[in-house]
Amino acid sequence: MSAQSTAVRGPSGLLTPVVQQILKLLGLAFLDVFGILLFYTFWYVGQWGLAAAIAIITLLVNVVVFVPRLYPVRWLSPGLAMMILMVIYPIIFTFTVAFTNYSDGHLYGKSESIALHGRVTYTPADARVYQFEPFVAKDDPSQLALWLTHDRGDGTTEVLWARVDEPLQPVDTDDPTPPEEFEGFRPMERSELFGVIRQLESGTFGEGADTVSVTSASRRTAARAEQRYVYDEELDGITDRVTETFYAADNEIGSWIAAKGTAEESKLEPGFFVFVGFTNFTRFFSDPALRGPLAIVFGWTVAFAFLSVFTTFVLGLFMALILNEKSIPYRKALRSLLIIPYAIPAVISILAWKGMMNPNIGVFAKTLGIEVPWFSDAGWAKIGIVLINLWLGYPYMMLITSGALQSIPTDIYEAAEVDGAGSRQRFWNITLPLLLVAVGPLLIASFTFNFNNFVVIEAYNKGGPPIPGTLTPAGYTDILISYTYRLAFGSGRGADYGLASAITIVIFFIVATITLLNFRFTGQWEEVSKNV
Amino acid sequence: MKKHLVLLTLVVLILGGLVPAIAAQGSGDALVIWADDTRAPVLVEVGAAFTEEYGIPVVVQQMGFGDIRDQLKIAGPAGEGPDILIGAHDWLGELVVNGMLAPIDLGDRAGDFFEPAVNGFTYDGVLYGMPYAMENVAFVYNPDLVETPPATWAEVKEISAALKDEGAADYGYIIQTNDPYHWMPMFSAFGGYVFGRDPETGAYNPADIGLDSPGALAAGQFLQGMVEDGLIPADVDYDVMHTLFEQGHAAMIITGPWALPRIRESGVPYVVTGLPGAEQAASPFLGVQGFMISNFSENQLLAEAFLLDYVATADVMGQIYAADPRPSAFLAVREATEDEDMQGFIAAGENGAAMPAIPEMASVWTAWGGAQELIIRQTVDAETALTDAATQVRTLLATDLTGMVNVPGSYQSQAGCAADWDPACAATAMTDNGDGTYVLTVDLAAGDYEFKVALDGSWGVNYGVDGERDGGNYTLSLDADSTVTFTYDSATNVLTTTVK
Repeated sequence: MSAQSTAVRGPSGLLTPVVQQILKLLGLAFLDVFGILLFYTFWYVGQWGLAAAIAIITLLVNVVVFVPRLYPVRWLSPGLAMMILMVIYPIIFTFTVAFTNYSDGHLYGKSESIALHGRVTYTPADARVYQFEPFVAKDDPSQLALWLTHDRGDGTTEVLWARVDEPLQPVDTDDPTPPEEFEGFRPMERSELFGVIRQLESGTFGEGADTVSVTSASRRTAARAEQRYVYDEELDGITDRVTETFYAADNEIGSWIAAKGTAEESKLEPGFFVFVGFTNFTRFFSDPALRGPLAIVFGWTVAFAFLSVFTTFVLGLFMALILNEKSIPYRKALRSLLIIPYAIPAVISILAWKGMMNPNIGVFAKTLGIEVPWFSDAGWAKIGIVLINLWLGYPYMMLITSGALQSIPTDIYEAAEVDGAGSRQRFWNITLPLLLVAVGPLLIASFTFNFNNFVVIEAYNKGGPPIPGTLTPAGYTDILISYTYRLAFGSGRGADYGLASAITIVIFFIVATITLLNFRFTGQWEEVSKNV
Repeated sequence: MKKHLVLLTLVVLILGGLVPAIAAQGSGDALVIWADDTRAPVLVEVGAAFTEEYGIPVVVQQMGFGDIRDQLKIAGPAGEGPDILIGAHDWLGELVVNGMLAPIDLGDRAGDFFEPAVNGFTYDGVLYGMPYAMENVAFVYNPDLVETPPATWAEVKEISAALKDEGAADYGYIIQTNDPYHWMPMFSAFGGYVFGRDPETGAYNPADIGLDSPGALAAGQFLQGMVEDGLIPADVDYDVMHTLFEQGHAAMIITGPWALPRIRESGVPYVVTGLPGAEQAASPFLGVQGFMISNFSENQLLAEAFLLDYVATADVMGQIYAADPRPSAFLAVREATEDEDMQGFIAAGENGAAMPAIPEMASVWTAWGGAQELIIRQTVDAETALTDAATQVRTLLATDLTGMVNVPGSYQSQAGCAADWDPACAATAMTDNGDGTYVLTVDLAAGDYEFKVALDGSWGVNYGVDGERDGGNYTLSLDADSTVTFTYDSATNVLTTTVK
């Protein structure tokens, strides 16, 4: 290795290029090993998508480091890697899941489901259940044997000597008590047994059709164990050998079903996940169970998101304008104090407000005498939630508008003053239009955020008060995300990730449409700024 | 450049050789236990003693109680899960449906455990857990305000009204506005239920939803009556309820053993006692907590031996009790319980029933709680609220067969069904006339027949002679081949038969 051949053009510091080079390679090597480890782990457990994402990221990092032209990208690569992992991969995953029946009872692929059922063993009705006494070879602690006894029921006892992969050997004795020594083996102490349970669990004693496995180490029982659920590839189904039931694979819904369409219909759980096309989407739009109060919920979602942005913006702008006045004393201290609601975690603020608003023990009702049904009346609950969100959100608006106010050139105001514009005219014709150009995109972001503001809704009143007479449970303050969250995870027969993903995608398209329209609208303000 | 690549490849290969070794370590020799923060310290101690004695390392990983279930679903299939986990019996439905639990055979040790607790961990006839504790709500009252504990809900109402009139307290009995778990004692005392039970096996039947049963409506109306008399305030949640009780503003509440520390700390005088009845004794939900074995564990025999030989002892079970007192499921500890409060909880739970562990239960809470809230807020009357809630649950659980009215019977194979007595056979589904009646016409050969009416394609809800629920079979004798018309009236549930 020579310093001349180096492709590094980075700043040279205390380290010589050679050392730099070695450090770089070592760092990269560690990164690669870490990548391979992750890849291996994910591949091993069947998370192929995630494994592929890791592989792509690792490869890209290597390319970036070794291609000199991509030197500037090197500093972006951690961010890009995180974006692939945290943003792009989940999006692809969500889109994929939306077209499957991935849900409780359908969490595995078909082959995994078959393998899982294949692990279950049973003791056939005709098999004898033996009591065992563990023995270990005197000269080799890895050699185990079992002293098996079985009470025939007629006062005599059958005694067998069992070793791994050797035929069971009848012992000619009527005394079930294990001897002190047998064929070079000695009985194990109780304390030794725990240490070899794992070995006993994996081993099969005996040979051919005549075998026994340990069924309980605690009770010291052993018996012949056979696979209970056997998959038949030709018939595409699983047979339960205990009940002699045949569960045919239904590859449309991903279930093992016996006696389909009759009263005795039964399923073997877990089933497996399959692609179901647009079923989840059609369910969301056509199923009366899901559609139920959707219109009410959607209306409130839009209203809530709009009101949240509007109220916080108005109050934030008002505060910013006041604090912008040089004549106000202690401006810095006031500004710091007003930021506090933004600095406190939202959940804590909401809980504190909730306590204060409670009609039974809250300060509003008990000390101030404001007896308002903040939680039980649909209208007041909505007002309450907008007020709390105003408290949570105005500092942010105050921050961004103060910044934007500074950026408006003062000469425009001077020109306006010369033209005889009053303060009100200046605000409406200069401040607001120019401000909106700067903060418009942020307002849209805020709208999108509040459209999915699950935390506030859930922490305030869990979407309540309930709407009476709906087909599915919904509350007056439920927004789309909280309503569908409860549908997908808290109802039916357990968590339904497929449906949840489908709903997520629908919400994404709604928000995207609204955002696009908003950008169109704010584009008009940019026209204004060009003409000023 | 090439040199670098070669070097890099070499380093990666050497390090990469270590990968399988590192990866293999994950499924190491240790017995891994997932436990919550109160049980974990006890298990760490037990595990240390076990390791000392047998040389098998025990790793206790601590996490939030509720997280255990969610994490198992992720880590289990990936091979990163525990061998043993702590959990509640009502997780069984979800975990078993996903194939996450291995059965446990207590053998003759089953006799060491309180039977209802063992039954709680039995799902579809298979035992999936070794219980350590049970929990249920009990009636807690302030003896300064209430002299003798009420035996019936009518008395609760009287005492509440008297306390309010005298001004001794703001409220007598108070209840959370939207928390059906705590409403269940009143709900069940009037005969209300969530899911009906199979009379033979005792298993919950998701087709029989009891939120709008006559008993449920009676419970709803009783609650409504208390609200109308101004005895029960709205906007009460768990914290508000406890604050009002602990400050002496409310005299009676229903709460569980988990609330004892805060009640004791508040210094308010209190007595824990059995639950008031009404038409029948109150039947609160029983929750059972226990140890389960992961189906993904490679150490299932070892885990079972650890639980049976090492944890199921009076000593360890006693430690678990001491760490977080609630009625023990281990008889030796349960019978030695001297704590008066705990005896109150045990008395209150005597008539309890294990909370349904079937996955369908998830559909119930929001709808049922909504009904309770609507009653307490007086938005709609009790009957409407509960009927709507039952409809919501039925809608959420609806299958393709929901709404089907069928006439299963011994004639069905003649009518194009695969077998007789099939409540889901499409060929004998009745047609909706749109006026609350349903009709079915079939051609039958001469002979004797029996049949019933079944709803929603299952036997869950069925009507026999005179429209009686689960009643006797209708009979029909035909002398000649005939055309038979069945007409079902959904108002009376009676089936009429005309022969041509």
